[in-house]
Amino acid sequence: MMYIEVKGLIAALLISGTVIGAFLGTARVVQSNISMASSKSGGQSSATKDPKAAAGAKLFALNCAHCHGIDATGDEGPDLHKVTKTDERIKFTILNGVKGEMPAFGKKLTENDTATLVVFIRSLSAK
Amino acid sequence: MFIATNFFDAGFWDRVHGGSTHLPIALALTSALLDGVGSIVPSGKFRENFRFSGYFTLLLAALGAVPAVISGLMLTNWDAVGSGVTLLHHYFVWPSFGLLIALVVWRSIVRHRTSRIGFSIYLIAILTTAVLISVAGFWGGEMVLNH
Repeated sequence: MMYIEVKGLIAALLISGTVIGAFLGTARVVQSNISMASSKSGGQSSATKDPKAAAGAKLFALNCAHCHGIDATGDEGPDLHKVTKTDERIKFTILNGVKGEMPAFGKKLTENDTATLVVFIRSLSAK
Repeated sequence: MFIATNFFDAGFWDRVHGGSTHLPIALALTSALLDGVGSIVPSGKFRENFRFSGYFTLLLAALGAVPAVISGLMLTNWDAVGSGVTLLHHYFVWPSFGLLIALVVWRSIVRHRTSRIGFSIYLIAILTTAVLISVAGFWGGEMVLNH
């Protein structure tokens, strides 16, 4: 009985490891393809030159593009290319949201994430 | 690029992920409960039925976890790590998904040929999986409710 259990354990570890590895590996490949595609498209080319802005672009794609559009030109939310607010005001808006218009990201994003997003948003208007 | 980044939109995957995650979470918890009860009832037909139901629900949980994970990856543009609450969510998602697959494979191979010690270790593992998948679900809910 013990023999079949050990055999089962080895198979379980191998298959589970393979499946998780396949998922994480695919995610890594797709992620690098997404970065390559976005840098080739030129939509965020100035952002990807600065590593912090590039990290911000990634955070933007995950959290903000849903409403502000994948190229930040606006969709449900406004165009972010010509933001005139101060950095502090942008951070405040990201963290606390706008009542009835934009959700608060204070519990989802860290202080560092918010600062990175501000760098990205600034890089848009620098273009 | 072989997978479109804007395949439908984030709102679509948000809904698919939200809808598909509840099934494997509920089934993993049910499986742990059924096997737990099955281990304390007197041996015989009753115990066999509990263990069979525990295995079957575990199998469905593992199968249901695959679309849940894929829709989650589509939602995050295939970012398997993330940051902030997403990172916390992923800290629990990947170990629970791995454990779920490992347990269903082990159970499918061993079937009823388990020793007392073997099944006790399995019970600890399925309870751990149930806790991990619940915490992953909690952080997933935090992402939806608090942003």
